[in-house]
Amino acid sequence: MQPTQAPIQIPEVIQLIDLKYYLIISTALFVIGIIGVLTRRNAIIIFMSIELMLNSVNLLLIAFSSYRSDPTGQVFVFFIMAVAAAEVAVGLAIIVMIYRNTRSIDVGLLNKLKW
Amino acid sequence: MLPIILLSVFGIVLLFLGFLKTRAVLLPAALLFILIALGAGFLEWNKSYLYFGDMLLINNLAILFSTIVLISAFMVVALSGDFLEDEMAQPAEYYAILLFSIVGAMMMIGYENLIMLFVGVEILSVSMYILTGSDKRNLRSNEAALKYFLMGSFATGFMLFGMALLYGAVGSFTLTDIKSYILLSHGRPSLLLYMGELLVLIGMLFKVSAAPFHFWTPDVYEGAPTLFTAFMSTVVKTAGFAALLQLLSVSFSAIYGFWWVILAAITALTLLAGNLTAVYQNSFKRMMAYSSISHAGYLLIGLAALGQQSRSALVFYSLAYSLATISAFGILLLVAKQHTTDGRPDESYSAFNGLSRNNPLLAFVLAVSMLSLAGIPLTAGFWGKFMLFSAAVDRGMVWILILAVLMSAVGIYYYFRVVIAMYFREGQAGRIRVAPFYQFILIAATALTIILGIVPGLFQNIM
Amino acid sequence: MNTTYLPSDYLPIFIQLVLALGFIVGSMIVSHNIGPKRHSEKKDDPFECGIPVKGDARTPISIKYFLIAILFVLFDVEVIFLYPWAVNFKGLGMEGFIEMILFMGLLLAGFYYILRKGVLKWE
Repeated sequence: MQPTQAPIQIPEVIQLIDLKYYLIISTALFVIGIIGVLTRRNAIIIFMSIELMLNSVNLLLIAFSSYRSDPTGQVFVFFIMAVAAAEVAVGLAIIVMIYRNTRSIDVGLLNKLKW
Repeated sequence: MLPIILLSVFGIVLLFLGFLKTRAVLLPAALLFILIALGAGFLEWNKSYLYFGDMLLINNLAILFSTIVLISAFMVVALSGDFLEDEMAQPAEYYAILLFSIVGAMMMIGYENLIMLFVGVEILSVSMYILTGSDKRNLRSNEAALKYFLMGSFATGFMLFGMALLYGAVGSFTLTDIKSYILLSHGRPSLLLYMGELLVLIGMLFKVSAAPFHFWTPDVYEGAPTLFTAFMSTVVKTAGFAALLQLLSVSFSAIYGFWWVILAAITALTLLAGNLTAVYQNSFKRMMAYSSISHAGYLLIGLAALGQQSRSALVFYSLAYSLATISAFGILLLVAKQHTTDGRPDESYSAFNGLSRNNPLLAFVLAVSMLSLAGIPLTAGFWGKFMLFSAAVDRGMVWILILAVLMSAVGIYYYFRVVIAMYFREGQAGRIRVAPFYQFILIAATALTIILGIVPGLFQNIM
Repeated sequence: MNTTYLPSDYLPIFIQLVLALGFIVGSMIVSHNIGPKRHSEKKDDPFECGIPVKGDARTPISIKYFLIAILFVLFDVEVIFLYPWAVNFKGLGMEGFIEMILFMGLLLAGFYYILRKGVLKWE
C-alpha cells in the first residue's frame, strides 16, 4: 500500500500518518453508518446514518487522492456531495410527506405493505 | 451523446410546457421528444466514440440498450393518458422526470468511467424515488417511496465505498485503467481491488433486485403507481444489466475465476427466491414484482456465463422482457380501474375472471405477454431464454441450466393462473373502453413479441 | 518556499485553538460565578411581559420554511463546482467559461421554474 509515485505537491507531513490508518477510520465510520441503518427505527436517523456512510467514502477518496497526488478522487468527492444534496432534498420531501399523512416517522409503523 | 443532451433539454422544456393552460399538449410532446432522441441515437450507429473527456463510450451495444430503454419509455408514456384526467396529478413534472431518468439510464449504459456510472445511477434512482411516491395521498405509495429511498441510498453507499477502494487499488476510475492494472499485476492484484469489486457488485445487484438483495422489490413495486412500476421493472433493470455487463466484461474479465462463482450462487438464489415466492401471491401486481426478480435471475445467467454470446442474449432478453412486462401492466391498469374494493383498484387474480368474453383483444394481449414471460415457444421470451441458456452451456454451467429450466416450469404455473382466470373462469367483466392509441401500443407490443418469437434471426442480423 | 512541515510547525494553530476555546469557556464560567443571582416568580418566567406562555416550543413549523430550506441546500451545494473552475480559470480559458455559463443557465432555468411555481411567494 505504498504510494506509487513520489508526491511533490502535497506536504510530506501528511504521509507521516500511514495510509492504512485512513483506510481503518473510513471503514469504521462506514460500519457505524451500516449499524445505524440496520438498528435505528427513526427515518431521519437512518437517513443520517446513510449520510455518514457517504462521508466516510469521501474521506477515503480524499486520502487516496492525496497519497497519489491525483486530483480525480477529489473531483469525485465534489460529485458525491452534489448528488447527496439532491438525495437529501428528495428524501426529506418523502419523509415530510409521510409525516403529514401519519404524524410519525417511525419506520416500524409503515406496515401497509407486508415484507 | 446527442440523445443525452437532447433529452436533458427536452425535460426542461416539458417542465415549462406545464405552465400552459392546455394539458393535452404534454403527452404528444413527450412522445415526440422520445422519438427524436431515438432517431438521434442512430446517427452514431457503427461509429464508436468517446465523449465528455473519455467518460462516455457510445458503440453499437450501447445504442441497442438505449433503444430498448427508449422504446420502454415510449410505451409507458403512451399508456399514461389517465394522468391528463386526474386533477391532482402533475403530468408535466412526471414526463420531465421520466425524460431525466432516461438520461441517467443512458449514462449507465455507456459509461467508461466510474464517476459517470455513479452519476447515472443516482439520476435514475432519485427520479424513481420521486415517481414511486407520486401518489401523495396514498399511504402505500408513501411507504413504498420511503422504503425504496432508504434501501436505494443504502445500496449507493456500498457501491461508492467499492468505487473508493477500486480507486485506492488502481489510482483511476477508468474501466480500461482497471483492466490494465489487473493485467499488469501478474495475477496478484491488491486486496483492495477484490473488496472494491465485490462492494460495487453488491450495490448494482441491489438496484437490479437480485437475491439476497431483493427484499425491497415486492413492496416498492406494489406500492408505486402501476405505470411507474412498469417503468421501474423495465428501464431500471435494462440499464442496470447493461451497466453490470460493461463493468464485468471490460474491467474484470481478467479475474473471471474470482467472481463467477459468487455471481452463479447469486443467480441460483435469485431464481429460487423469485419463482418460488411468486407462486404464493394472490395479487397480480405483487406476482409481477416477484416475476421481475426471477427474470433478473435469468439475466444474471448471461453475466455469470460471460462470453461471446452473452451480449446479444442480454440485449434480446431485455427487449423481450420489456415488451411483455409493459403490455401486462398496461392491461392491469385497465382491468384494475374497473374493479375497486374499498376504493382501491383491485389488483388480484380474480379481477381478470372472464375477461376474454367481452374483451377478447385485451385477453389475447395479456395471454401473449404471459406466454412470453413464461418462455413458451413462438414468443420472444422463448428465444431470449434459449440464447441465455446456450451461453451457459458454452461455459459448461450445466447445474445452473438445470435449475433454470426447473424454475421456468414453476413460472409456467403462476403465469398461467391469469390465463386460466381470463379464459375459463366466470366473471362479470363488462366491456372496457380503450382509447385507440392505447390499443395501438398494446397491439404493436404483442405483434413485436410474436414476430421476434417466429423470426429471431431478424434481430440477430442487426447485432 | 518551505515544503516540509513538522507537527511542531502547527503549534501556532494549536495555541489559537486553545485560546479561542479557553476564552469562551472561561468567560462563561466567570460570568456564571461572579454575577449576582436573584430569584423570584416573575423573574423565572420565560417572558416578563406580554401574553402568558402556552404550549411547547417544539411545534411543527410551516411547510414554507421546509421548502425554502431545501431549495437553499440545492442551490448552495452547486457552488462547489464553481471553486475548481475559479482556481483553474486561466487554464480552462474560453471553453471553460462557456461551459460554466451553460451550467449557470441550467440553474437559472430551475430558479425560474421555482418562481413560476410560486414556491417563493410569501403569504
